[in-house]
Amino acid sequence: MLGSKRDREDAPEINAGSMADIAFLLLIFFLVTTTMDQDTAYLRKIPKKVETTQQQQSQVEEKNIYKITINSRQVIQARDSIIQPDAIGTLNSRIKHFYLVNRDRKTNRDIDYPYYAFGSVELYQNNLDNQINRLEALENQEVIDDNTRRRIDQALDAIGQWRKKLEMAKLYTRHSGKREMPEIAFEAHIRLESFLDTDYSAYVAVQSEVEKAITELRDEESVQLFGVPYSRMNALVQQRIAENSPEVRMYQERMELIETLFPLKLIEVKPKR
Amino acid sequence: MSKFRKKGNSGPAAINTSSLPDIVFMLLFFFMVATTTKEVDPLVKITNAEGAGVTDLTPFKQRSEIDFVYLGEPNHGDANLFEKGIAVQYDGILHPNGIHHIGQWKLEKFSSKPGDFTAPRENVITCFKADAHVPMGIIFQARDILQDLEFYSIAYAAQEMGNKTEYDIREQ
Repeated sequence: MLGSKRDREDAPEINAGSMADIAFLLLIFFLVTTTMDQDTAYLRKIPKKVETTQQQQSQVEEKNIYKITINSRQVIQARDSIIQPDAIGTLNSRIKHFYLVNRDRKTNRDIDYPYYAFGSVELYQNNLDNQINRLEALENQEVIDDNTRRRIDQALDAIGQWRKKLEMAKLYTRHSGKREMPEIAFEAHIRLESFLDTDYSAYVAVQSEVEKAITELRDEESVQLFGVPYSRMNALVQQRIAENSPEVRMYQERMELIETLFPLKLIEVKPKR
Repeated sequence: MSKFRKKGNSGPAAINTSSLPDIVFMLLFFFMVATTTKEVDPLVKITNAEGAGVTDLTPFKQRSEIDFVYLGEPNHGDANLFEKGIAVQYDGILHPNGIHHIGQWKLEKFSSKPGDFTAPRENVITCFKADAHVPMGIIFQARDILQDLEFYSIAYAAQEMGNKTEYDIREQ
């Protein structure tokens, strides 16, 4: 004890008076070079270019399209209704309606809206078995030419897809207790048209309404099935995507199921005038 | 006598400032954590468009998987020098070719990414930061060029509108 007291007295004191100045300098530097607002955006994909002639284009049935047009005065036409710029906020409930009208109906369906297909574990298992049998038959052929090889590839592709579907149906059945999984028509999509001089803000507002509608649909479904909203799972996976832990993978599987139940198919059409 | 004078000279007691550096450091660390650095100074006027449910781009920025294009009226000089009065800013410059330069710029950006960056072109997002009144025609021109070059991921920048329910849109 005595010794330590002596040491303390002997140790030279460093002058820390300028420490505050240094820290202030750093603080001011960071204040000047940084921004508080985060960069946020809507992520979208440009479709791949496909070479098609006019005749090859297959017609999508009218009931599967939800067409939104924004004109150069920011007035919106969504299907048959005209929406003034100050009422854009009503668009999301219309889009939700488009998705949900026929969801629980097998008969008495509204013919103006996309139909649903109902898959089940048995059905997908059956389809998977069929494809596996087909693959075996193809591989056992005596002569394997290019044509056969192409069909083998097709069969392998189909097997992969049905396997995925089967897993999803199992997951759905396990959590919902229902045997049948409703799937919206493959062709159902939202078609967004604009004019050459449509304002960016109006276009973004419509994107926002689409995003809102689909997020709400997914969240509601996700809470019913898993008790957790979709957006929370998404945020969590985004943060921890590098981990690749079983927990993250479980969330990814669940998100995939929700995305299959409520797919976001948005086609942005190039303006012509 | 001298004893008394000494006492009078001491004046008000000095405030102990030894904890000041700690306080300032605390502030400093808060700002370092809560903010992101500015990439470039904007050379165009941008009023942000607003929307709900936007995606935060911070993780993409950290992985340098995103490039920003700024569109709007120029801060200085004559707007009429640019096509439709809209200047396009790539990194630090306003390019005279406007939106037609985007292909070349993207290719240069992509080839200058670090060597261990193995992401395919599709994974590099092009984010359009446009003024609220920029016409969509320009952005679709850019989309066409990006489609040809297989940069398929894009983003429309927007600010989270929070509790607001009304969009701020120009009526004409």
